[in-house]
Amino acid sequence: MDIKYALVEFLCKNFMVDEDEIDLNESLIDQGIIDSFGLVEISAFLESAYGIVTQQEQMVRDNFGSVHKIVAYVERWRS
Amino acid sequence: MSMDRCTRCILSGAFPGISFDENGVCSFCRDEIIASTDATAVDEARKRVDALFSQKGVRVDYDAVICYSGGKDSTYTLKQAVEKYRLKVLAFTLDNGFISPTAFANIRRVVDNLGVDHILFRPAKAVFNKIIRTCVFEKVYLPGSLRRISAGCYACISMVNNLALRLALEKKAPFIIAGFTLGQIPANAIIYQNNYRFLADSRKRSLDILKTQAGPEIGKYFLLPDDLVDSVTTYPYTINLLCLEEVTEEQIVAAIAPIGWQAPQDVDGCSSNCRLNVFNNYVHRLKFGYSPYELELSHLIRNNLLSRSEALEKVRKQPQDQLESVMRHLQITKDQLLQIVPVRK
Repeated sequence: MDIKYALVEFLCKNFMVDEDEIDLNESLIDQGIIDSFGLVEISAFLESAYGIVTQQEQMVRDNFGSVHKIVAYVERWRS
Repeated sequence: MSMDRCTRCILSGAFPGISFDENGVCSFCRDEIIASTDATAVDEARKRVDALFSQKGVRVDYDAVICYSGGKDSTYTLKQAVEKYRLKVLAFTLDNGFISPTAFANIRRVVDNLGVDHILFRPAKAVFNKIIRTCVFEKVYLPGSLRRISAGCYACISMVNNLALRLALEKKAPFIIAGFTLGQIPANAIIYQNNYRFLADSRKRSLDILKTQAGPEIGKYFLLPDDLVDSVTTYPYTINLLCLEEVTEEQIVAAIAPIGWQAPQDVDGCSSNCRLNVFNNYVHRLKFGYSPYELELSHLIRNNLLSRSEALEKVRKQPQDQLESVMRHLQITKDQLLQIVPVRK
């Protein structure tokens, strides 16, 4: 499944938002969609879906700052 | 189908993203929406906790700083940390000025009976009250952060988390133990290790609003000093031990009675230590149309740890006299509260 599609589907189901409410270029925290626990949930989702184990030093804005950045982080990890 | 409340759990029709079938059962109970509370995550967390605790240091003064509110859940968690996991703990309590006198007596008896060190921190009362007032009248936290918790509790717990992190770093304790239950937090967040700088950056918007209203000095409650952050090589793990236990409220109360815990009578049905909770719940209902405890209590119902009638009793036990007492302390009138514009989806 497409990474972006899978991530957005995960966000919609777990954080009770509609797809059109998510700005793919903005921080999910800044948009009020997730809080700090949400970050932990997303990293757990990446681990279960793609086998990515995120260390605390990788949990930075460059990797988790938006849906597009998370997708790019997954793609980097897989390549 | 439009409903006031799910017929199986206690989620309200006002809860974001909810829908009901022809029997009045909500989409959360039908598992149309994944609530991230699966048993697999809990099993994995148990294994990780065992592995992490097996590596605990012998040369540190404390294995863990434990956030100890004096409520039944954190008392049980403290007991588990000391007696089951054999951790050397430093108990930490934030006195927000609204802790029930009975809860204070509980705290003293319990830490004495368990033989643990204890630190109490009380922020300046006028400043703390300004923080709570700001949470009432300003949009400090965005709605997505407030589905499991009221804004006032969010601010208070953010202070607890930050001060506990500071203590853990200063004492070089590798763990922070918190007493959240499943439903209060997602199952994937039982154990976590956050990047502080990213989180502090992400919380800037809410902290700026609080600072504008309550004064710039409140930064010390929500942020770590720069020199401490610069010196950190690794952050402690935060572990919510209670999430690993399948235990009913009745069993918790029975387990902590022998170490001196008694139920306070001057709190609402959803708290066992804090008199401010009734007020925070009231404001949350005004804004969102549902209790901030519905998600947590519904989780307990689905896991057969609480009956629906017991859960309803908890959310409905919101004593008016205590609400009015807290409002007087905060210098907030009912007319002011009625001007709050509901934020309902």
